[in-house]
Formats: sequence, structure tokens, C-alpha cells
Amino acid sequence: MPKIEVKIWDVERIAGIPLTVEDLKKSLELLKAEVEEVRGDSIVYEASHDRPDLFSAEGLGRAIGFLKGARKPVKYVVGDSGAYLDISNAPSYRPYAFFSIIENLELDEESVRQIFQLQEKLHLTHCGDRELAAIGLYDLDKIKLPVRYVKVETAKYRPLGYENMMSLEEVLAKTDKGVKYAHLVRKGQYPLLVDSEGQVMGFPPILNPEDNKVTEDTRRIVIDITGTEPRLMMKVLNLITTSVSERSRNPVIKSVVIRGGSTYPVSPSLESRQVKVERGSVKSLLGLDPLAKGDSNLLELMGYNVQRFDSKELVVEVPSFRIDVLSYVDVIEDIAIAYGYNELGSEISPSPHFGRLDTLDRFADYLREVLLGLGLQEVLNFMLTDPDVLTLVSDENFVKVRNPKMKMYSAVRNSLVPTLLISVLVNSAKRRFFEIFEIGDVVKLSDDAYPTYAKMLAYGLVGDKYTLTDGLIVLKSLMKVFGVKYDLRRVSKKALIAGRSAEVLVKEEVIGLVGEVDPAILTNLGIYVPTTIAEINVSKLFSTSSP
Amino acid sequence: MLPSRQFKILQRLIKAGKGLTITDLGSTLGVRESDLMRDLAELESKSLVRLERTVSYSVKLSELGFKYLEVGLPEERLLKYIQARNGAVPLSSVLTELDFNDDEVKAALGQLRKHGLVVLESGLIKLVKEDLGGFPSEVLETKELMKKHELPVIYKDVPKQVMLLKRRRIVDLSEVKEIKVYPTQQLPRLIDEGRIVEGELITNLTSEVLISGSWKTATIKEFDLNVDVPTRTPRLRHPYVQFMKYVEEILIEMGFEEVKGPYLESSLWNFDALFVPQYHPARKETDVYFVENVNLTVNEVDVLERAGRIHEDVWGYHWRVETARLPVLRTHTTPVSMRTIYERGAGEYRVFSFDRVFRPDTPDPTHLMEFHQLEGIIVGRGVTFKELLGFFKELASRLGMKEVRFKPAYFPFTEPSVEGFVKHPRLGWIEVFPGGMFRPEVTSSVALPAMYKVAAWGIGIDRLAMIVLGVDDIRDLYSNDLEVIESIRIPEVMVRNAQD
Repeated sequence: MPKIEVKIWDVERIAGIPLTVEDLKKSLELLKAEVEEVRGDSIVYEASHDRPDLFSAEGLGRAIGFLKGARKPVKYVVGDSGAYLDISNAPSYRPYAFFSIIENLELDEESVRQIFQLQEKLHLTHCGDRELAAIGLYDLDKIKLPVRYVKVETAKYRPLGYENMMSLEEVLAKTDKGVKYAHLVRKGQYPLLVDSEGQVMGFPPILNPEDNKVTEDTRRIVIDITGTEPRLMMKVLNLITTSVSERSRNPVIKSVVIRGGSTYPVSPSLESRQVKVERGSVKSLLGLDPLAKGDSNLLELMGYNVQRFDSKELVVEVPSFRIDVLSYVDVIEDIAIAYGYNELGSEISPSPHFGRLDTLDRFADYLREVLLGLGLQEVLNFMLTDPDVLTLVSDENFVKVRNPKMKMYSAVRNSLVPTLLISVLVNSAKRRFFEIFEIGDVVKLSDDAYPTYAKMLAYGLVGDKYTLTDGLIVLKSLMKVFGVKYDLRRVSKKALIAGRSAEVLVKEEVIGLVGEVDPAILTNLGIYVPTTIAEINVSKLFSTSSP
Repeated sequence: MLPSRQFKILQRLIKAGKGLTITDLGSTLGVRESDLMRDLAELESKSLVRLERTVSYSVKLSELGFKYLEVGLPEERLLKYIQARNGAVPLSSVLTELDFNDDEVKAALGQLRKHGLVVLESGLIKLVKEDLGGFPSEVLETKELMKKHELPVIYKDVPKQVMLLKRRRIVDLSEVKEIKVYPTQQLPRLIDEGRIVEGELITNLTSEVLISGSWKTATIKEFDLNVDVPTRTPRLRHPYVQFMKYVEEILIEMGFEEVKGPYLESSLWNFDALFVPQYHPARKETDVYFVENVNLTVNEVDVLERAGRIHEDVWGYHWRVETARLPVLRTHTTPVSMRTIYERGAGEYRVFSFDRVFRPDTPDPTHLMEFHQLEGIIVGRGVTFKELLGFFKELASRLGMKEVRFKPAYFPFTEPSVEGFVKHPRLGWIEVFPGGMFRPEVTSSVALPAMYKVAAWGIGIDRLAMIVLGVDDIRDLYSNDLEVIESIRIPEVMVRNAQD
């Protein structure tokens, strides 16, 4: 969730209404944003990922203006700039580019800051850190239209924030942005925006020139968006265009023709979309129809123009900056928000059926009860564990995490024995003897890497006084309670002392093992107390023991 | 047959042949007086002893009295002082020179005037008689009486002269309550005839004692409740398991069925079917554990196709099937709900899942890389958002939290979406219940007919577990340390029905 910082006075001048901090907090709550901090005349909030129009003061001021009834829903008029953008020779791996132009702007230090904040947050979120789309803003007075978006082998320009001319390779090697985003471009096919006089207008998605940057003195802005996802790019371009246009009392938005095989012949595309909502669906989704009294004002508070509103249906115009509104349910949510979630009331109908616990969990709880009754204490462990402990204890395959944060949690346990031994280690420093057990799930991995899941039970008897006999006593007592007949068969396992360990068989199927832990393994883990353990596959015990 | 101690009391009384005080009895028998009282009350009720309760007074020379014995009584000293100054002194000088206080001046003057020895005239005390009459002998008597009280003297009635001393605070008086024990008339005869015999004292009952019947005459030793005893450690479910059981019971009472799903999921089930676009930040390596050595077949080809089409149509980007096939450790249990809908299809049902999920993190007191989610759905034709709010209120109330507030929220797979807050007495409003109505894009990816709606919720239940169990470090919820496990108390709200 992006963190946004705005000045309260700046939001006020866009909303067209004076605002207290309280007003702002309440409005932000309705807009799914959470106030993080109020610092003097600044407010910092976490905006919701689905409302990128609120990633700067322009969109926030506009939305609060609607909510407070100080502003009416907007309609954007787009004029023709007469210019074009030629993308016929664009790099094939980043084939799309769109432009929009906003004129008659009145900028100051704060508005420039806000526009760049919006650009940065959009890059981080919806633009996939520039991989899907990259945005650039330029002073149009420093550029000679039309512009070509082309792939080039090399070029030279003075990058933003640097004094010297650099080649594209130098930009990639020497600037911070160049180093960070170099992986997005291909050598010999660098994406470049070149104006009609042959000047480098921009090097997307890396770094733009110093000479045409947007400043407080800029009156006309051209925005480019380049990337791989045209529909997403157009949404983002529309959004940033409408936000920038908030920085003018009489904004003039102009379109550019896209030449050379684009899915969109002209950009931007600010026509509002129509969304139809069946009146019946409001009540059937919410459980109450906030529009029942025939008041469509709730929709205007959320910035929608109402086109039709009758007993059968509701048609609203969704402004182009509301890229989160995808279908009628989004409009219904806005109706509920404007009405107030806490005003909707609540109800709960009885369940159409009885409740029921998972059968295996229920069985496992009986096992748990028996072991507690036998005096063993239950412990828990994470399923994520140390791969070294897993390989120490067994040669069986296990799931490895590709991107772990810590080695000790970088594998998924395939047995409870390793985590039980970790529990033994934790407690053996503090107690001379103890009896513990754990019930939990494991993920086993076949040799051809297909996962299977099992619920397991493991217990450990730790201390000088315990031998395999004690392990077998617990096993026998447990099995007796459930009336399960089992056999023991001598076994050789990596973790256990050969000759002092056994497999447990029910109806000739192996369901577990029991034995004294090999001293080599104990001491390797740092455990210096004799330990007898057993592990039972609860899933198998459940299925094999049923009559 | 009498308990041994009671028998000894009787023997002692007979031997003394007179009444004994409790103090005497206690010291000779080596028993505390308070312990004796019960025995005596029993003996009295059997008419074997008679108790006589008396009040007497103990009188002892006070500190002041000891001082007067040393320096003389104030009246003596005043007389000598006047005699030494030609029979007349100013009253004020008495206070300063003799260091008398007001009371002492008054008492001294009173005594001298009683014998007509002095008068008080315009601030001067004058000696008016040479002959001291009865005064010296009275002083002598008083001093004799005082000496008698250097050790405490017990009076049933306090003599008048002693009361006078008390008034002058020369002696201290305190009340002494005493119980005297006398044998009844029949007692010697009963003992002679052997009708009263001594029984044995039993410290611990044994089966031998029970079988022989000797307990009938024995005294079972009284237990001293002041002696501290050690505790035993009960073997209980792990505190987190107790909490799970408690929450699961609540959901089952509310008519939910428990469902399970795999820990390893394809990205399809974890994200794509839930309408989370492939470029969404929640799908990045920083937010999801990918696994490196797992083959995971996506058998649900229809879901794959539908999800892909929906992403292309609605989100409008180039959707990649390889990305959807990537196996991950599930980041939430919502795939479990989705699989349930996929399997059960249209119908009226509600299910829950309480299970582990995984997200990259470094463990600290408030973060874990593996934790539990409590997830559930209510599926049906008439299911509404309002019903989801009702469910949250009911669940909160059953968890012992009565106040609930709702705020708008965003989750990619629900619309409307909500975040429920509950009011905690100490922590204030806390965010606990995220949920919403599954989007049509989500339900159609698992082919649920459009007339069916799904209210869904997925609670990061560990936060509630910490609050309920009173645990400050989230890592303690998953503890394998017996000391930590044994230190966690069973919480009030779990023991009592929070509804009451």
C-alpha cells in the first residue's frame, strides 16, 4: 500500500472547500485510505492499491470535493493537438507508446512535487516497477512535435540531474536509474523518443533529459507512457492526465494521433464509461437498497454522473480516472460506502446445515487426548524448518523454498522427527527429563517431485531413564485405547540406532516407527540426553484402523 | 472414647483437683490456646468440663509511677520547694523550676490543700500551717501502694486507692479475659469406671485403619493450612491448540463445516482464480514463497482457461499461463474456499478452514513467516453483504467482544469489501475482520452460477489468539519450549461462555 504525503492547503484548493484534519480523516476512511501521520500542514496516508487516483493531492482533493458536495462529477473534453506520435519503428519488446497533452497549467513547487509523487507511486504499483509501463512528463515548450518512438543503437543526451552529455550506455552504467532499470532494455535496441528536430526527448523507461524537465514555470506538459500492456498503459495515462489537469483553472487537454499500428489510434481516451446496475442487484448484493428512497445523490458523492435512474436500472458514467471500477459491483460498493457501512445494519440467518469438524482433525484430537492422559506435553513447531536438520535425519526428498528469508525456515518439513528433535534441543538445556509430543502436517515429496500431505504424530521421551521400552509402552498404550492391532518389524533408519528401532505395521502397512535416536545425530544437534522417539502417520492410522 | 488430646485435658484437670486456666492447660499440654478451644467446647457439650469465663484487671505501675518512686511525688516536691523559700512561691515558678506539667501542678496543689497546708493567693502559693498533720503518712502509704504494683497485680475488683492512682496515671490498667476450666461433678466417677478412654491419633488414613474400624475412636490429625504445598503441572493441549479448538467450536455452533486444502498451491488457485492480476505487488517474491523443486499439476484446466480469459478481458493485459502454473506455498486460505466452491458448486452452504499460510518475513515479536488464517465462506442465493456484517458481529460477540465497527476496504477478489474492527478494553479499536462478497469475476472462474453469491472472510487469527491468550510475542503462540507453554494460562473468555 503506497504511502502518500500531501499538504492540507493543497488538497483544500483542489477540493474547493476548507478542511479540518478531522474532515480529512473521515473522508480518507471512506476512500479506503488510512492516515499514518499528521505533520504540521502535511498529512501522510496509506492509499488503497485499487485507488491509484488517490496517489496524489490532485485526485484526493477531487474525491473529497465530491464527497463534501463541493464539486460536481467531471466531464473531460479533449481537443486535437494536430500532432502525432509515430511508433512504427518501436522496439519489439516494448512496442507501445501513447501521449497526452495538457495546456494552460499553473504550477508551483507543491504541485510539481505532487505530480512526481503520482508518477513514482504509479510506477511502483500498477506499472510493475516500469516493466509493464513507464511514464514520463516533459515541458512541451522544449519539444518540437511530432515525435517518433524508435529503437536505436545509440544516442547522446544530458540526463536529468547531470551536467554532461552521456551516451545511452553511459546512462545505463553511471546513473542510479540506469543501473536499476537496465534489465528492461536490450542492447542495440534502446527505446528512444526523438522529436521532429532530432533531439532526444526521452529514454524510457530509464531516465529523461534535464533540458525538457517539468518545473514551476512549465505551462504545457506532454506525458508519454511506453510499455508492453496497452490497455493498462491507457488507463494509467488517463489517470495521470486527469490528475495533472487539476492544476489549471481552465485545463486544455489535447490528444495525439498514434501512427504505426497501435491498438488505439488516438490518446488519451478520457471518455467516461457507462456502467449499468440493475436496481434489484443492489438489494440482493447488499441486503438493503440505499437508493430505495429514489435519491441518487449518493452516486454523485462518489463522483459518478447519473445517466438513468429508474425502478429497473441505474446507469452511471464512470470517470476515466476511476480505473478500479470494473463492473456493477464496484458501483454498488460505492453506493454502500456513501450510505455508510455502519448504517447498513446486519443480520444473520441460520445455517442451512449442521456444523462439522474435519474428520481427521477430530481423530487427531482423540490421539492428543490419550497422549496428554499418558502425561506427555504437547508442543508446536513451524512447518518451515532448517533443510540441514531434514537431511541430517533422513534421506527423503523435501520441498525447498526458492526465496527464503532465513535458512532455518527455508524447507518444508517432510516428517515431524526433525522438528521434534528441535523441541528436544530447546528443552534439554533446562530439564533433565521430559516427555513431549506434536501433532502436525508434513509435506512429502516423491522422487519425481510430486507433493503429498500427511498428518503425523510424533513423541519423544527424553532423559537418562528412558529406553526403547518406554517408547514401546506409550505406543502399546495408545494402540490399546483405539483397539488397533499392530506388529513391529526391525528397521534401519538414518535417525535411529540400528537394533534399537522398529517399524510399526497395521494390516501389513507401515504406519510409523519407534526407536532410540542415534547418538551421532543427537550430538550433532547439540543434544546430550538420550532420546527415544516415535512417529505415527495419523492419516494412515485412521484409514487402516477403521473396521 | 475420646480423642487423645481431649483425654489428656481431662486427666490434667483431675490431677490438679481444681479449676485451671486455658493458659495453664495450654502450657502443660504444649498446645496453642486457640487449638484448645475446639476441644474444650466439645468436652463442655459432653458435660465433662465446665467453663467459667471471667473478666479481671491487671494493674501495673506506669512509667510515670516508676519516675515518682525515684524523684518523689509532685506534692512532696512542691512542699519541700515552698518550705525552702520561706513559705511562699509564685505559681509560675513551679512550672519552670520544678518542671511540672499542668496536671502535676493541679494534683500536687490538690493534695496539699486537702490537708489545709497551702492557699493560693494572687498567683502566690503560701504555706499556711507549720504542722503537716496526716500528710507525710499519706505520702508514705501512697508510695507503699505504688511499690506493690511494680509487678502486675490481678484484681477482680479494683480497690478505690488503686483507682485514684490510675486517675493520676501512676498505674496502667488492662482488662484480662480468662476462661477457667473445671471438671464436672460426674467426671471423676466416669473416669474411675473406665467409661472414658483415650483414642489414637491418626496422621494419614490407611486402608488398614479403615478395615479395622480403629478410625471410629481415633482422632484424625488436624491439618495446618498454613503449610505451603508444591504444584503439579497438568498436561494440557498446547495453548494455541486450545485456542483453535475454542474458535472451531464457535464456528461449528454457527453451522460451519470445516474444510481443508493443500499447503502447496498453483498460483492459479492462490491468485489468478481470485482475480489478482499477474502484475499485482502481492505476487512478488517479497510477498510469496515460491518453491524450487516441486511438480504441481494443475488439473483444473477449465479454471485455468476461465481465469485467463477473465484477466485478459477485464484487466486487459497479456496473461501468462506459465505464471499461473507456478507453485507457491499458499499465502492465504482463500484457495481452500475457492476449491470448495469448485467442488460443491451451486448450493446453500457455509464452510470454514483454520490453517497455516506462509509469507516471506523474518520472525520477530509481531511477524512470522508462517501463521494461521481463519477463513470461511457463506454460499447461497440470498447471501448478502449485510449478512457478512452480521456474521462478524456474531463472531465478535462469541469471542467476548461486543462492539464492532466497519470500514471500507480493498481486496482484489471481493466487492464490496470490508474491514471489521472490534473494541478491546486495553488496546482500543483493533482491525480483525477482513472480508467481502466474492466478485463476479471470481465466482465465474470456478463456474458458480451467477445467482449464487458468496460472502467470504479471511481473518489473520493469530492477532486475536495473542489477545485472547495474553501473549505479547507472536512466536510464543507456536512455542516448543515447555517453560513458555506451561506459563500460559487458560483465558477467562475460553473458560466461560462469552455469550453469558
